[in-house]
Parts: sequence; C-alpha cells; structure tokens
Amino acid sequence: MSLIKQLWLAISAVTLLVFGGAFLLTTVAARNYLAEQLYVKNVDNATVLALSMSQMPKDPVTLELQVSAQFDAGHYRSIHLLAPDGSTLLARQDDRTADDVPAWFAALTPLTVKPGVAQVQDGWKQFGRLEVESHTRYALAELWRSTLHLAGWCVAAALLTSLVASLLLRLLLRPLDQVVTQAEAIGARRFITTEEPSTPELRRVVRAMNALSDRVKLLMLEESRRVEELRRKAQADPLTGLAGREAFMSALAARLEPDQTIGAGCIAVLRVTALGELNQRVGRIVADQCLLQLSESLRTLVETRTGAIAGRLNGSDFAILLPGESDDGVVLAALLDAAGDATSTLTPPSSLPIGATHYLPGEAPGHVLARMDSALAASERSGQPEIREAPRRDDFREPTDAEGWRHLLDEALAPGKVLLGHYPVVTPTGAVLHFESPVRLNLGGQWQPASRFVAWAARLGKLQTVDALVLDAAFKRIKATGEPLGINLSLESVRHPEFARMIADRLHADPELAQALWLEVPEHGAYHHLEAFRNFCHALKPTGCRIGLEHAGPGIARIGELHDVGLDYLKIDAAIIRGIDAHPGNQAFLRGLCMVAHAIGLQAIAEGVSTPSEREALPGLGIDGLTGPAIQAG
Amino acid sequence: MRDVLLCGRKWRQGALSAIPSWHRRRAAIFQLAATLLLSSLLLGVGFVAAKPLFDQLTAVAVQRYGPPGRDAVTAWRRLLADAAGLDEVEQVRRVNAFFNRRIQYESDDVVWHQNDYWATPLETLGRAMGDCEDFAIAKYVSLEALGIPRSKLRLTYVRAQIGGPTSGIVQAHMILGYYPEPSADPMILDSLISEIRPASRRPDLAPIFSFNAEGLWVAGAPAVSDPTARLSRWRDVLQRMAQEGIQ
Repeated sequence: MSLIKQLWLAISAVTLLVFGGAFLLTTVAARNYLAEQLYVKNVDNATVLALSMSQMPKDPVTLELQVSAQFDAGHYRSIHLLAPDGSTLLARQDDRTADDVPAWFAALTPLTVKPGVAQVQDGWKQFGRLEVESHTRYALAELWRSTLHLAGWCVAAALLTSLVASLLLRLLLRPLDQVVTQAEAIGARRFITTEEPSTPELRRVVRAMNALSDRVKLLMLEESRRVEELRRKAQADPLTGLAGREAFMSALAARLEPDQTIGAGCIAVLRVTALGELNQRVGRIVADQCLLQLSESLRTLVETRTGAIAGRLNGSDFAILLPGESDDGVVLAALLDAAGDATSTLTPPSSLPIGATHYLPGEAPGHVLARMDSALAASERSGQPEIREAPRRDDFREPTDAEGWRHLLDEALAPGKVLLGHYPVVTPTGAVLHFESPVRLNLGGQWQPASRFVAWAARLGKLQTVDALVLDAAFKRIKATGEPLGINLSLESVRHPEFARMIADRLHADPELAQALWLEVPEHGAYHHLEAFRNFCHALKPTGCRIGLEHAGPGIARIGELHDVGLDYLKIDAAIIRGIDAHPGNQAFLRGLCMVAHAIGLQAIAEGVSTPSEREALPGLGIDGLTGPAIQAG
Repeated sequence: MRDVLLCGRKWRQGALSAIPSWHRRRAAIFQLAATLLLSSLLLGVGFVAAKPLFDQLTAVAVQRYGPPGRDAVTAWRRLLADAAGLDEVEQVRRVNAFFNRRIQYESDDVVWHQNDYWATPLETLGRAMGDCEDFAIAKYVSLEALGIPRSKLRLTYVRAQIGGPTSGIVQAHMILGYYPEPSADPMILDSLISEIRPASRRPDLAPIFSFNAEGLWVAGAPAVSDPTARLSRWRDVLQRMAQEGIQ
C-alpha cells in the first residue's frame, strides 16, 4: 500500500474515532443530563404536591381535584397516590409516546427516570405516598432532534477534515514524488537534478542526489574529453586537428556501404600547391597559420552534417566528405570560400586546384578516389574547380532536377506502402537485440534503399511522411512477428513535437509495441537540435520504447549534455569500427567510448562490422551489440 | 429555653423547577463531552467505587475530630450493637436517649457559622453539638441502621408552641416520628424534651410536612457525587453520609 494511502487511512481512522467518540459521548451526556433534570423535576413536584395535599382536606373530591389540576396543567406521565398499605388511592396516567421519534432510537437511548416520591400526612397520621413521574416524550424528541443535528455536524466536520487532510497530504507528499522520480532516474542512470523541496528531510535527500548527479556530470565531462583526446590522437592530423588519411578513408568506406541510410553524396579535395615553396617564401609559421585557417573553415563546413568529415590526406591535400549532399554547387562554393579566406593574406593570392566527385553507396572506394584524383589533376591543368559525376546505374534512372524528384517521391509515397529491410543487431554471444529496418521505397517500379532518395526527400520535406509510413509498417511487423525493430527517424520528424506526440499516443495505447521499438536518431542531428531532441525523448521515454543515437562517436565530447534524457544505446559509427582490429589508437578510443556509454547506462553497438576479425575484436573493447555485413542472426 | 428559640429556620422557597432549556445548556454539554472523552482516555479503566464500610466511619472520625470523635463513634456503634435484636420500641427509646444525652443543643450559627446546615450523624457526634434537624437526622439514621423500615419513620416539620399552651411564641422545628403501624399515632422523638411521647400527648406540636428517604435515588446510590443531589438539603446530607461510610 502506498504511503499516501496509509497516511490517509490513519487520518480517516483518527477522524472517525474522534468524531464518532465525541458524537456518542455527547449523546450519552445529553441523555444523562435530561434524565437528571427530569428526576429533579419529579422530586420537586412530588414534594410540592404532597405538601399542598398535607394541608388540604382529605376528602376524595379535593384530592382528585388537586391531582387533576397538577396532572392536566403539567407534563406528567403518571401521578399515583398510594395508601400506606400499598393500595392505590388515586391514579392518573398518560401513555402516549413521542410520535416523531423512531422506535429504535427510543429503545437505544432509553430515558428511564425514577418517579419523585413524597409523603402525604393527615395531621400526625400517614395518609399516603405520592409518586410523580414526568413525561419523557418531549425530552426524547428533543434528544432525537439534537442527535440528528449532531450527527449531521459530525459527518460534515469529518468529511471536511478528511478533505483538508487529503489535500494537505498531497501537498506534503508532492516533493516525495519528485524525490522518488529522481531516485528512479538515477537508478536508471539518468543523472538528472531537480529543484530542492521545502521539506527539510526531503531537501537533504534531493541535495545529496543532485550532488551525485552533478558529480557524475562532471565525471562524464572529464571522461568524454579524455576519450575525445584519444580520438584525436588516433585519427587526427597533429597540426590541423582534421582527420588523418586513415580516418578519412575509413569514413569514406563506411559511407560507401551499399545499405546505409545517409545516401549518396560528394567528396572533394583541395590541394595547397607548392607548400614547400610557400614555407620558404613566407616562413613556416605564417604558412601553418594559413593551413589552420583553411582547416577551421572546412571543419565548420562538416560540423553540422551527419557523417560528414574533413581530413588532411597528406601535407598539401585537404578533403571533405559530405554524405547526403547532392548539390555540387554548394560544395564547390564552400570550398572556394574556404580557400579564398585561407590564402587572402598571401601575396600574391594563389588559386588552389579543387577536384570533386559525386559518389553512390555501393561503389568501391578506389573508384571514387580515382575519379576525384582525375578531377584534381584536371583542375590543376585548367585552374578551375573540376567536378565528376558518379556513374549512372542501369537499374534506376534518377531524375535530374527537383521537379522530377518531387514527382517520383509523390508517386512512391501515394500508395502508403514502404518495405523495411531486416538486418540483425546481435550481442557478442549471438542473441538478437533487434533488427535494423531501413526503409525501401518503390521508385519507378523498383524497391530502392534510402541511400538513393534520402537526400532529395530531405530537400523536398518528404522525410516526415516517409517516417510515418515506416513506423506504420514497423508496428504491423511487430504485431505480426513480435520481433524488436530498430527504426531510423529523420531529424525533420524529431523536430516536430506533434510527430512525437502521435507516436507516444500510439505506444501508450499498446505497451507491447513500445517494448519492441528501438528508435534512433543521427548523433549530429541530436546535438544540432538539442532542445528538440530532448523534448522528443521526454515525450517518448515514458512509453517504454528505447531511444538511441546512430553514427555516434564524433560527438562523444558532448555526451554529457544528454546524460539526463534517458538514452538507451549508442550505435557507433562505422568509420570508427572499420579496421578496428588493426588500429590500436581507435581501439583505445572505442574502449573509452564504451566506458563512458556504460557509465550512464547506454548500450554500445558497433555499426558496419564488415570483417570477421573486426567482429572478433569488438567485444573485448566493451561493445554490447554488433551489426553490419559480417553479422548474421543466430 | 433560650436555645429553643434558635432552632428557627427560614424556609427556602423551592419553586417548581422547570427543566432549564436544553438549548441553553448545549454548550455546557459539549464541554462535558470533551472532558469525558479526555478523562476516559486518561483514566483508562476508571476507578473502583469505594465500598462504604461502617469501619471506615471510625477512621474518618479520628481523622477529623481526634480521640473524642473516635470515642463518640465507638459509643454510637456500641449502642447500635447493643440495641440490635431488641424490640423496636426499646430501640427507639435507647437511640433517643443516646442522642439527647450526648449531643448538646446549639444552633447552626454557633456550630457551623451558617444560617442553616444539615449535619450528618458523624458531624453531629464529632462535635457533640447540633440543632433540631441534626438530632432528627441522627436518630433516623440510627433507627434505619437498626433495621426499622423507612415506612415507619418520618422526619416531620412541625410548628412548635414554646412555653406552654397559652404561650404565643411559635417556632419552626423538626422532629422524628416513629409509626409502630402505618396508620397508628406516631411516637415523637424530640430534641426539646428527652421523653418519648405519642403525638396525641404533644399538643404543642402541629405537623406541617413529613418525609423520609423512600423513593430517593441517593440513599442506595454509590457515593459518586450526583450534582443534583447537592441542591436538595436532604439528598445532600444522605450523600455526604454515604461518602463518610454510613449506609
């Protein structure tokens, strides 16, 4: 039984006892009081009548008249005059009962009053004994009426007391609910802080828990910084802090996996020509300054995009990988700006060659790099940025403009039908955590993976519709098979509160669905729209579904900001996982990342596990789940 | 004779007491209820009613009046013991003689510094003083203790003519009447004269009203104070007697 119920019961019992007791005692006291008064009246009236009779003639008529006068004008039940031998000389009696008093009440509170007795003298002789009994019916009626009144008051007062007590209880115990919520959150490794309640005992508890949360937060901050440092050491170019060649190539390979959700994109390289000459001409320090500025511009460019990365491939080659970007104009303009800013301080300003190419998921990394190199070489010759298209596919003729895409997507979404992929996510021991279910859309008669259309769907604002259809399909499949499913949600959906509300309603109505649902959002997007993502979590966590970040890793330094939303898992980006078995730096980073994740109760899942040796190496680093081409269910 | 004049009493006019309105008393009732609730909680099981024993009387007498009080009570108990089993007329004679000899007549003014005070037998014996109703009460109680039924005893208010049949001095007075038979001429136990005479031989006394303890709650009630008993002199004295140990 809950505390509030127990307290309430105790209060009710005490209230009942007090008011019930007061009611009973008052009624009994009133009855005794009335009986006492009636008895006094009996005695006094008997004495007065006996005195008057003693003085008067004792003939029957006078006696009769005296008794009648008293009886008829007064309030008596009986007046008896008994001879000394006990025989009745005179008797008057009125046996009417109180008609407005229920019989049970009269029986329950009998108003028994002894008659008043007095002696009548005839000179020196005893004449008789007078017994006078007052009527009790009006007293009984009064007692009944006042008892009713009193009962009414007691019930009203008891109700009021109970009402006030329960209100007071709720008020007093509200902070307790807060404390319990916080304690449960901490138990679930969500280290939230709450406002301190005014109750001193609870305040101390909350203060202690807040201190714990703060300390964990601080610890997280330090730990995630340390891990970030590991990442830099393992992956970054020492001077610029951009990704090194190896890290960049891992990322490219991860983006080229055939079935991943980010889709096609652009890759571009910018060559700082004659770096050695530049060093000699302006001095190493100024040249380095130049490179740093360029790096900074590139970093800003990739910072807010999922899966995007900037890298320094060698001393003079700087590259960016922009998954999901299909507009080469944007990329080139940004690169030119960056290059312009970096070289503006140099005299004369040198124009830097830029080579770029589109790529499609499923291409071999070598092909993409070769295309990029050829574009760069062409740019070096022409002095203009050069761009190469990705090879056309035979199976799917992509529209060439926005209008074409809009038409194609509308056509695909109109029937409200999507297919879901089915890739297992398993624990190191082989148990299935859930099945990743990337969406397939019927584009021009063929089911195509998300990577084919997701960039355009985002640009045309269709992702929310896609997500809604995906969820419908997922719910249907969960209902049918009971399998837990992992669903990628786009940022567009996360940013719309009514979308979260819609899912929450659906999940509240059917908790079984919630149990089997794993929702994931790209890490970049979550940090970029932190407030929206937090609201999304607050809306959905209570349903019991799981929420995680996908493509996680680059943002590890900010994980502390999400320590209190109740995340369940991180899916660590394939770029980190790729070649992990042979890369001690990345191993150290991944081990730290898993530790941080575990500290706040997150499962760490490796994305894009593509070789058996990777699969073998990962569990030792603290990974809880694996998915990718090398992973099969069971 | 001078003493006799002091037996005068003022009649306290007892009006027919109407029951005070219950409404007016309701506040007091609530208060009483609260007190009862509290005291019942505090006292728990409640107290055992003191069992009045005749022995208790001696202890009370010693405590209040010292050795003379003890002697008086002892003498009284001896009287009661000696008279037990004798015929009623002899009992009446002995009791009358005992008190008339032992108790000195004094008015309430002198004994109690009050206008009118009805003393219990213990108080009368303890002080060895009393006025007319104190004599009558002590004799009544003694005879009742000897087993004479109440119906044969009457405390009687009389109009006493002092100083012979021709005298004009009239005095309010109280005597105890003993009725050998209910319809018989009573024997008068008086404090004015030591001799017991039948009523027919007391032309100086005119009966006005008589009473005894018949029909009264107090006589048989446990010695818990009944607030209404205090209001009646007669019930008050019966109650005080019960508390002192006389039943």
